Amino acid sequence: MFNTTEVYVVAHSLVPGSRHYEKGLKELFAEAFLKILDQVGNVNLGAIYVANAFSEVLQDQGTLGAFLSDYVGMRRIPAIRIESGDGSSGVAILEAYNTVRAGIYDCVAVVGVEKMHDVINVKLNKALATITDYEYEGFFGVTPAAQAAMAMREYMLKYGYDYEDLAIWPIKMHERGSKNPLAYMKKQATLKDVLESEVVADPLRLYDVAPAVDGSAAVILCNKPVKSDVAIRIDGIGIGAYGTYTGQRDSLTELLSVRDATNMALRAAHVSIGDIRLAEVHDTYSILGMLALESMGLVRPGETPRLLSTGALDVGNKLVVNAGGGLKSMGFPGGASGMYELALMVMELMNVKPFESLGKAELGIVQDMAGFDLVSTSVVLRRVS
Amino acid sequence: MVDQRLSVPRYWRRMPQYYRLEGVQCIKCGRVYFPPRAVCECGSREFKPYPLPSTGKLINFTVLYSVPAEFEKMKPLIIGMVDLGGVKVVGQIVDCMDPEKLSPGVDVEVVFRMVKMDSTYGLINYGYKFRPINNC
Ligand SMILES: [Zn+2]
Repeated sequence: MFNTTEVYVVAHSLVPGSRHYEKGLKELFAEAFLKILDQVGNVNLGAIYVANAFSEVLQDQGTLGAFLSDYVGMRRIPAIRIESGDGSSGVAILEAYNTVRAGIYDCVAVVGVEKMHDVINVKLNKALATITDYEYEGFFGVTPAAQAAMAMREYMLKYGYDYEDLAIWPIKMHERGSKNPLAYMKKQATLKDVLESEVVADPLRLYDVAPAVDGSAAVILCNKPVKSDVAIRIDGIGIGAYGTYTGQRDSLTELLSVRDATNMALRAAHVSIGDIRLAEVHDTYSILGMLALESMGLVRPGETPRLLSTGALDVGNKLVVNAGGGLKSMGFPGGASGMYELALMVMELMNVKPFESLGKAELGIVQDMAGFDLVSTSVVLRRVS
Repeated sequence: MVDQRLSVPRYWRRMPQYYRLEGVQCIKCGRVYFPPRAVCECGSREFKPYPLPSTGKLINFTVLYSVPAEFEKMKPLIIGMVDLGGVKVVGQIVDCMDPEKLSPGVDVEVVFRMVKMDSTYGLINYGYKFRPINNC
């Protein structure tokens, strides 16, 4: 074994997701990146990891990293772009973490950036179809929404739920979002709102879909904390894969890549799932948030709607899920999604606004996923003082 | 015309799959895969072509209202998962005016239809779709 070091999140930022028509990829990137730079003052950044899923399709831009680092005056710093669909961020975090942990660099930045609103909806759908097996799924019109809809139908049949029961996810996420000034969706939603919203892919409705946003979020990882009072340490990262054609899966209600990623992260962190107090899960569609919780082992299979409706996953309980309202409220910035989840988790663990009510939780987990169970990551973070 | 066809090998190299639903069967253990792959779960790399049966049953489906650009004129699409002799295939369900009548277990047959217009070359792409055998 080679010597490894500890890895700390020493800065974090996010640009609230929105339709940022006046900002391109470069401006969004710079806004998040300069904020983290200002937080740490003078650190020696070895590299920048850029998480982005769709710049070729949406902006006709490849080799993204080079142009982004130049824009912030760092053209000689390698900016390494990671593309793993809407799970790009988790993989970027993993790669950045590994380089610091292995002692290659003292500090690296990780920035997720995505500009979803440079094209009209049908073209965005085409970009999203690239996270299916394009030759056999996207080619025939299959989209991630269609996959999520079939998973939802299977879940409802398997556990005997009606659509109304599953509407609890958007209701709870909107409730959290209404108390989060960083959220894109700040309005509460009633059962009636959800039930009357348009059908996107039956039984999936508009309220089950995280709304596409433009955005950027960033962290700096270093081998030691910058401030001495309270620090957030990454105790374990795991990655799992189950990339396959939907038809070759046995089940649409178990996310095997999520299960493997989570077990790997927990092993590395020497903790068990029951120790986790805060979770951020990748709810691009409400059903995927529920399946993630269950596949991670945080909730027993089939129990999520019941637990949510009793308030068991709200603030004040042993486990709080998506305290900021999830991607449902924060918005869905494609490959930058996982960076939003990470930035929020850091704020939750640090107990800063708007998360003061969470108390002093020590252990959190962030789950990110590409497509339907293709590649997933889980990051276990600990607050240390 | 021939030149045009050659300019899109990405499409014609998939004709055995798109036109005949040709999967592969592992010579060693008999497992069948659609789409084809290079290595079997058992480790074997030897396969023979295996055309899937032309009838089967619907397992799961959704009516998709928000579609990618090239399907805009055909929406909504019914996307279904179909069991063809034990192999599951995902694709469009067509000739069904009333999706309310669809349910898991419905018998379907494979039909050959236009899938979309290639936006770069104006070529029409064809492929398999599924039709409920009893009126829908
Ligand atoms: Zn075999």
